[in-house]
Amino acid sequence: MPPRFTSLTALPGLGAIAAPDTRDRLQEEVSSLFDLYRAPLLRYLSSFGLAFADGEDVLQEVFLSLFQHLRSGKSRENLRGWLFRVAHNLALKRRYRSSRDLDVVPEVTDPSPNPEEQLASIQTERRLRAIVKALPEQDRRCLFLRAEGLRYREIAEVLEMSLGSVAVGVARSLARIARSAER
Amino acid sequence: MTHEDSHLSDEQLLLGVEGELSSHEEQVVRAHLDACWQCRARRQELETAITNFVHVHQREFDGKLPPAAGPRALLNAQMAELSAAEPKFSELPRYLAWATAIVAVLAIGLFFTRSTMNRPRSRQMVLSIPDSSLTPGAALLASRGAVCEQANTNNKAVPVALQRQVFDEYGITGADPLAYEVDYLVTPALGGADDIHNLWPHSHSATIWNAEVKDALEVRLRQMVCDGSLDLAEAQREIAADWIGAYKKYFHTDKPLPEHGGPQIP
Repeated sequence: MPPRFTSLTALPGLGAIAAPDTRDRLQEEVSSLFDLYRAPLLRYLSSFGLAFADGEDVLQEVFLSLFQHLRSGKSRENLRGWLFRVAHNLALKRRYRSSRDLDVVPEVTDPSPNPEEQLASIQTERRLRAIVKALPEQDRRCLFLRAEGLRYREIAEVLEMSLGSVAVGVARSLARIARSAER
Repeated sequence: MTHEDSHLSDEQLLLGVEGELSSHEEQVVRAHLDACWQCRARRQELETAITNFVHVHQREFDGKLPPAAGPRALLNAQMAELSAAEPKFSELPRYLAWATAIVAVLAIGLFFTRSTMNRPRSRQMVLSIPDSSLTPGAALLASRGAVCEQANTNNKAVPVALQRQVFDEYGITGADPLAYEVDYLVTPALGGADDIHNLWPHSHSATIWNAEVKDALEVRLRQMVCDGSLDLAEAQREIAADWIGAYKKYFHTDKPLPEHGGPQIP
């Protein structure tokens, strides 16, 4: 049975309009940056207690701001740091408490058949999550930003704090995590 | 400076691991570590803590992020909207660019003042251009005769379930359905299909290129198709590819005419 309709992209002429090579190159660049940094930014936004749906809203604002930023010919230096900084500032404005429960431990996929080892692994993971959750807010953000690959100087710029304070914050967090492993 | 009998601090150990020390500091730290088992053990503990944190951090999010297609499409649609709505600053004389910026700031202020009074806390994106990857347009295999013989050219209502699918596809969560018209890209009066590839959320307000303006274009194109001055397939292609461009072309104007809901000329 023949299809009831035909996609208009199949018709001659339209392809040229919708094809990527004719789109605004800046839009494509921003779209590529969106693909590259969406997941790291959403993970970082979760440190504000933002659920993914709220984080997505913030990201729309972030990347539209980036589009405007680049359109107006402003600096392209360290766009990654710029994205995290803008996301940080927008997230501070909305600070919902997340419905996501940090205490929920995902299913353990450790292939080890030993149930005792599995239980120990779950307990360790639960303890570590509780420690991360209980960290001072700024220390937790330092840790999350470092986990996303930002250098200390970039973290200091995003969080508007001194380089030394970033190092102290990350070291303090790791010391707490290390203590939990000794138990 | 570290005294040879005093141990390194966690910050020094960490900055050493991270490659964040100056070359002089690095030498001092390395010299101490060469001599001190205790600090080497502590450095190992900190590295293990990094490994443990990364492991748990990844597991917390792996496989849980929603697909990127909807949010990406929404972003692309909004960027296209911005591109269509605003001339590039670099193309304007400087004084005109400043004037545009001032008017834009005032307009945004006015918009927020008015909209925050009665707007629900949900995502309300302004869309006047569909995303071509989600809504390429789809047409029934209709002939000119079939199109022009239709007595009723009013669009039929889109089922609520299909409307919800369109909102989901565009990543519009918790949207007030009254803020949008789930619109046919190619109107059925021009042979458009009743299919999700031909449907998109068209904002009712806050844009000059609204659904009322598009309705006027659809009427004009249908008249032209039926009086033989425009090929049906060409009309379908033009409205699907760039309906705002088609409006400008067929109404010989850069902005919507007042009778189509455009700005009134004093």
